[in-house]
Amino acid sequence: MSASFYTKPANNGNAGVAMETSWDSNPGRQRTLQPITTGASVLAIKYNAGVIMVADTLGSYGSLAKFRSIPRVLRVNDATVAAASGDLADMQFLNTVVENHAIDEEIHEHGIAYSPASLHSWLTRVMYNRRSRINPLWNTYIVAGTEAGQPFLGYVNMLGVAFKEDCLATGFGSHLCLGLLREALDAAGGYAGLTEETATSALEACLRVLYYRDCRAYNQYQLANVPVAKPAQVSGPHFLQSDWSVAKLVKHYTE
Amino acid sequence: MARRYDTRTTTFSPEGRLYQVEYAMEAVGHAGTCMGILARDGIVLAAERRNINKLLDEPAFSEKIYIINDDLCVAVGGITADANVLIDEMRLSAQRYLLQYQEPMPVEQLVSSICDIKHAYTMFGGRRPFGVSMLYSGWDLNYGFQLYQSDPSGNFSGWKATCIGSNAAAANSMLDQEYTENMSIDEALSLTIKVLNKSMTMSKLSADKVEVAVFTRKEGHTYLSLLPQSKVEKLIKDLEEAELAKKEAEKKT
Repeated sequence: MSASFYTKPANNGNAGVAMETSWDSNPGRQRTLQPITTGASVLAIKYNAGVIMVADTLGSYGSLAKFRSIPRVLRVNDATVAAASGDLADMQFLNTVVENHAIDEEIHEHGIAYSPASLHSWLTRVMYNRRSRINPLWNTYIVAGTEAGQPFLGYVNMLGVAFKEDCLATGFGSHLCLGLLREALDAAGGYAGLTEETATSALEACLRVLYYRDCRAYNQYQLANVPVAKPAQVSGPHFLQSDWSVAKLVKHYTE
Repeated sequence: MARRYDTRTTTFSPEGRLYQVEYAMEAVGHAGTCMGILARDGIVLAAERRNINKLLDEPAFSEKIYIINDDLCVAVGGITADANVLIDEMRLSAQRYLLQYQEPMPVEQLVSSICDIKHAYTMFGGRRPFGVSMLYSGWDLNYGFQLYQSDPSGNFSGWKATCIGSNAAAANSMLDQEYTENMSIDEALSLTIKVLNKSMTMSKLSADKVEVAVFTRKEGHTYLSLLPQSKVEKLIKDLEEAELAKKEAEKKT
C-alpha cells in the first residue's frame, strides 16, 4: 500500500476517464492488436461439494504448437483458483498482479483473503477499464472457488463481459463442450446432484472432444479442484488418452 | 532552542522528537471531547457539543460524528477543516473498494489506509500534519464491531474504550477503572454519561452540551442513531439519582 499525499479528485469534464494516451508522449508504447502466444479452452463445472476446472498446458504460436508445458491454472488461495485462455503474456502479467495482491493480504495478517467473488469483481473492473482504453488484456478468465460453503464460478472476458454460472467454458470449449456440460448438469438435476467423479469424467470427455476437434488443443492438462471445506488443489500434468485409429479411414492419410 | 526544529515538519529534533506532530496533538487536545465504548452488541459514541449557537442555520446530523459508509462512522477531534478532507477521502476509499470488489471494505483496512495518508504528511513533502484525531466505529463480517483511534502521527490502534480531545486523560483513566468486558449497550451508555460528567470542561453535564450516538446492527443492517435530547436527559437524571443513592448508602454505614 503506497502512502501518497491526498489530492482532491480532479475536476475534469470526461467523467473521470483519462482520455490522453501514454503512447502520444511515448511512441515506443503500443496497444494490444492481436494475441501472439495463446492458450486454448478452459472448462469448469460445479459439483455437489465444490468446483472443478481444467485447462490444457499448450501455448500456441499461431498454428505452431510451440510451448507444450505452460501452466494456465493459477491457485490464488485455499478457496480460489483462476485460469485464462487467450494471450499468454497478458495472462502471465495479470497473474503476477493477482499473486502480489494475495501476498499483500498475507502480509497484513488480517486473515481476510480474496474470495472468488471479490477476485471476479476486481478482474471485471480491470478488464473493462483496459477495453475502455482500447488496450485490452486479450484473455478470457474463469474464476472458480468456494465462498460461504457454496461453490462459485465466474467468467470475465477481454471486453469486461462478466457473469456467473454452474458450468463455464472459453474459446472452442464454449462451442463444443458447453452443451455437454449442461447435459451432465441436467442429468444430475443441478450441480447439487453431481458427484466429483461424474464432474471430473464429464470434463475429461470434453477435453477429449476438444483434442479431436480443436486444432489448437492439446492432450496434456492441469486440473484444479476446490472442495467446499478443504483447500484448493491444482494437479497435473494429466495425460489424455485418445484413439486416432479412425484416421486411417481418411482418404490420402498415410501413417 | 527547540524552535529551530519546529517549522520543518519532517525533520527530527536533536532529542529525537517531531515537534510539528506533537503540536498537532496539542491542537487536538484543545478540541471537544469525543468518547467511544465497545459493548458486546454495539458501540456507544459520545461527543461534547460546543457549537450551541442559536444563530447556526440548518444543523447537520451531528457536530462531530460523520458517516463514512453503511458500516463505519467516525467521531472527530481537532481541526474540523482538516477532518473534512480526511472524511471525504475515507468515503471515496470505501466506495472505490466496493466498486472493485463488490464487498464492503474491511474496517481495519480503511482505517489503515487513511492513517497511511496522515503519516505521509509527517514524513515527506514539508507540509504540516493533519491536526485531527479520530475515533472509528465500524462493523464488518470478519471481526464484528470494532473501535479504533488514530492521531496526527498516523498511528492507530484498536480499543475497548477510549477518549480523545480535552480532558481525555481524566476520561481515559476513569474508563480504565470502570470499564468491564461484555457490557450491554445500556451499561455502556450509563458509563459514558458517568465519565463525561466527571471530565467535561463545563461545570455541569446537561443534555444540550453533549451528543450521544449508538452504533448497532439489526436484521443484517448497521444503524447509527443519535439519542434524542430527552433520552440523554433521562440518562443524566438516572446517573444523578444513582450517585445520590450511593451517597445516602455511604452515610448510613
